[in-house]
Amino acid sequence: MPVVDVDPDELRYLTGHDEKDDDELKSDLFDLGLEFEGWTEDDEFQLEFAPDRLDRLSVEGVARSLRYHYGDDRGVEVPNTNSADWTIEVEDQPDERPYVTGAIVRGLDLDEAALESLIQLQEKLHATMGRKRAKGAIGVHDLTMLKGDSVTDETGKSITYTSADPDEATFVPLDADAEMTPSEVIDSHETGQTYGDLVADFDRVPAIYDAIGLFSFPPVINGRRTEVSVDSRDLFIEMTGTDQWTIDHMCNIVCYALAARGGQVEKVDVSYADDAPGEYAGKTLERPDFTVRTKTVTHDRIESILGVSLDSREVIDYAERAGLDATETESDDGVAYEVEIPPYRVDVIHPLDIIDDIGRALGFNSLEPTYPDVSTVGGRHDRSRLEDAARDALVGLGFEDLLNFHMINEAENFERMGLSPDNTGGDAVGLADPVTIQEPYSEDYTILRTWALPSIMMVLENNTHRSYPQDLAEIGLAAGLDDSENTGVAEHRTVAAALARTDASYEDAKARLQALADAFDKDLETPPTTHPSFIDGRAAEVVLDGESVGVIGEIHPKVLVEHDLELPVAAFEFRLDALE
Amino acid sequence: MKRPQAQVAVLQAADAQEDRRIDDVAADADLKPEAATRAAFELEADGLVSVAEETLEHYELTEEGDRYVRESLPEQDLYEAAIDAGAADGPVQMGQAIGASGLDGGAVDIALSNYARKAYGEIDSGEITANPDADTGSDPEMLALEAVADGRVEDADADALDQLERRGLLDVREETVRSVRLTDDGVTALMEGVEAAETVDQLTPELLTSGEWEDVAFTEYNVEADAEDVSHGKEHILRQTANRVKDTLVGMGFSEMEGPHADAQFWINDCLFMPQDHPARTHWDQFALEQPDEIHDLPDDLVERVRSAHKEGVGPDGEGYHSPWTEDIARGMDLRGHTTSLSMRYLSGHQVGELDPPERYFSVEKVYRNDTLDPTHLLEFFQIEGWVMAEDLSVRDLMGTFTEFYEQFGITDLEFKPHYNPYTEPSFELFGTHPETGEVVEVGNSGIFRDEVLTPLGVDCDVMAWGLSLERLLMLMYGFEDIRDVHGTLCDLELLRETEVMR
Repeated sequence: MPVVDVDPDELRYLTGHDEKDDDELKSDLFDLGLEFEGWTEDDEFQLEFAPDRLDRLSVEGVARSLRYHYGDDRGVEVPNTNSADWTIEVEDQPDERPYVTGAIVRGLDLDEAALESLIQLQEKLHATMGRKRAKGAIGVHDLTMLKGDSVTDETGKSITYTSADPDEATFVPLDADAEMTPSEVIDSHETGQTYGDLVADFDRVPAIYDAIGLFSFPPVINGRRTEVSVDSRDLFIEMTGTDQWTIDHMCNIVCYALAARGGQVEKVDVSYADDAPGEYAGKTLERPDFTVRTKTVTHDRIESILGVSLDSREVIDYAERAGLDATETESDDGVAYEVEIPPYRVDVIHPLDIIDDIGRALGFNSLEPTYPDVSTVGGRHDRSRLEDAARDALVGLGFEDLLNFHMINEAENFERMGLSPDNTGGDAVGLADPVTIQEPYSEDYTILRTWALPSIMMVLENNTHRSYPQDLAEIGLAAGLDDSENTGVAEHRTVAAALARTDASYEDAKARLQALADAFDKDLETPPTTHPSFIDGRAAEVVLDGESVGVIGEIHPKVLVEHDLELPVAAFEFRLDALE
Repeated sequence: MKRPQAQVAVLQAADAQEDRRIDDVAADADLKPEAATRAAFELEADGLVSVAEETLEHYELTEEGDRYVRESLPEQDLYEAAIDAGAADGPVQMGQAIGASGLDGGAVDIALSNYARKAYGEIDSGEITANPDADTGSDPEMLALEAVADGRVEDADADALDQLERRGLLDVREETVRSVRLTDDGVTALMEGVEAAETVDQLTPELLTSGEWEDVAFTEYNVEADAEDVSHGKEHILRQTANRVKDTLVGMGFSEMEGPHADAQFWINDCLFMPQDHPARTHWDQFALEQPDEIHDLPDDLVERVRSAHKEGVGPDGEGYHSPWTEDIARGMDLRGHTTSLSMRYLSGHQVGELDPPERYFSVEKVYRNDTLDPTHLLEFFQIEGWVMAEDLSVRDLMGTFTEFYEQFGITDLEFKPHYNPYTEPSFELFGTHPETGEVVEVGNSGIFRDEVLTPLGVDCDVMAWGLSLERLLMLMYGFEDIRDVHGTLCDLELLRETEVMR
């Protein structure tokens, strides 16, 4: 879940509630779903929250939510915008990253705290909506350092989002002192090494130019020339990405935050060339797009989800307290509300999301629980009942019931049991082709086990310091590849048991297997077989009602020694469904 | 005075002047050592003998130790070679000294590691020096070896013996030896005369059928003595907890679901309205499978409805996500990260046919998360999953159902903290009060399924659902601190054996 660092003094300043002490703020934030996780080194709150309200990724957004919570603000607020003076020309931009958006914010007086907040907001938006910059990346520039290109007299100032040859274009990136090409940035600049992968496969990389030259290499790094400082008054914000809606909304969140700092938002025209890739060729978009969306939600649905009766006045009141505007209207389903949603809300994608907002404003915990008055008959699944019955029988026979992981590695599942994974697909129990895990983190868990005796042997191995006898059993999942299954995986429950005791013999294991078969009224036969995990001449197939379903025998000394065991083990394993 | 035969024999074999070993007494009394021991303890309880215990240590040279005592210690060889090479006057190449010493293989390491320890000289940067004052002729470890070999352990230096044991040159075996001695009361009893009573140890079928049992006395047992440990069969503690949860839910009208552990992302994520580029699908980190890598068949109509929900949303005001969606990703195989994949299969009608409200379903089954294994996180754990399908369900019904469920486990004062899940709205994290410690702890996650989940599945009423880790419930109820002691191949049999039975 996202974590945002918020300076409580900033919060008091931005909400206008100087009287709130830290504890009061924490409690108010908790009510909003922002949990205090601890203090940062700079005495800021670390707040954790669910990843829906991405407009709260900076102190400005958190303060806005608090003001609604306190009732200081109501309804939708949209900052004023001045008309566009600058244009982002878009031509020959990379197919893989076709979209760009932007905005200008003027008249800022940023102190260190405000600047840090802006940087944090960028980083958090990159990490969330921006999908680590793959989907959207933000660049913020000092506007005074940009020289608008006037190609023709009638166009105003402009910059150009285009593509560049990664080995030819040059600029001085942030945190560097010399000109570098994009390729050099990817190879040797720290930020380039982190984000270079995003564009490493591109023939030509994303690039933004002004009249002076290249000043930004999105989504990797900006140029040093336009670096923002506390002295910057006017900012140029650009965002590039793979989805226009996503970067437009990231831009809205940034503009709202800067407007809260007293900035004046100015629109920017985004002008896609006629032959530009993407959905907007030949179109000019005016950005930021502060259009207020509307959704219709019925009164009945609000009442039915919240389980309470409300009058229209209350619904409208709760909506306004949530920062929405609601107007009563008529729909086919009776009374409804046309609800306006501010442009920074990226989480409202269905009328249900509005009901949730109303519920939060009303306070869910004030609702009285009711038990739903509908009657159903419960029951266990047949498989789970059979598994329980078999487990009860094993426990009655003196086995200690185990619960092991279904994931294991090849060595444990095959080699250490004396099986060769090269010979998988054979008839021997355990020799199925295993289900394999892609790029496993841990070497210990790379496949699904094909049988359960390896798990039991591992438990024996890890418990040689515990008293004997150790009579262990497990009923659990085993799986193997099977192309005749829709999923490609044959999953079955397997019954595995082992007797580890100084005098364990085949006969001891068979006696218990026989008792189990009798308990389920199954006819048991044990014709001799060979299996690499068992001693030759002391291994048999488990045949229940004429069907070969498993193996029984004395574990081979090489397997025992491999598991550091100094006493004999007799064991069996068979499919649970054979007891049906 | 009449005493059981074994006690009489022990009394007669014991001596008032000296401790006699039980084994010797048993031999004289013609008893098995165990019987003699038992009789001795019974006599001791009556004050007729005293029983003393002492621990004897047996020293024996290992094969290696035996070799050294006949030849010399490797470090002594090395020292001599070093002296010959002139290392007493200054550093010489180590290889040179080793070569001259005739040591090879593991003996070289042994020599080097003991050489410096005994201050025979110094070894640094491949060079060796020899301390001319070192008296290797009276090396205490060699002296101790010789003492053990000659049966003069008492002459050996104790530190040197410890060192020899650490070096694996000496085996030390401890043996507990019991001896008995007659007490004054025992002497008096003997003088007054002790007869063997006609007692029997074991009630036999013959005694019963012949009626002789009426004429015999039974030996008294020490009924307070410790009995041997027996292991017994026991259902795993987590299974017991799972079954209790299942019983509770069945009692509340829930039916159990069943379905694949390895499943298509479609059922695990896409039906749940998780956008394909959602961080949860990459960083919640479900296990993707290499083999098999994709499911054979998905229901075409359902795939299209799910795609449409993701791309265009559901209903006139639904927007969907601004994220890419491809069927290829949906077909990819994963180990399920939650059993909500089962709920999707059931609600879609593809598992047990079309469902009509009202329905209640649950499962308590394994899920898989690519997390870091630590005391509270496993890569595999059990998820309790439940849902209720009915017309017009409200968040109050959700609260009522879960309050009822958790009360069965002593978790009360449930609080519902508004939360966000991609698949439910409203959503709540559940917090409850711990039955023992009284602290407020998170106990689950819940919500009402979104229209974007239900409409593609063809469900046109409400469904509320919740999930909880069974291990979490177990840890809350039992106070386990490291879940790995319980679940998996690192489990501790002792802990499983000793955990109290769930009531």
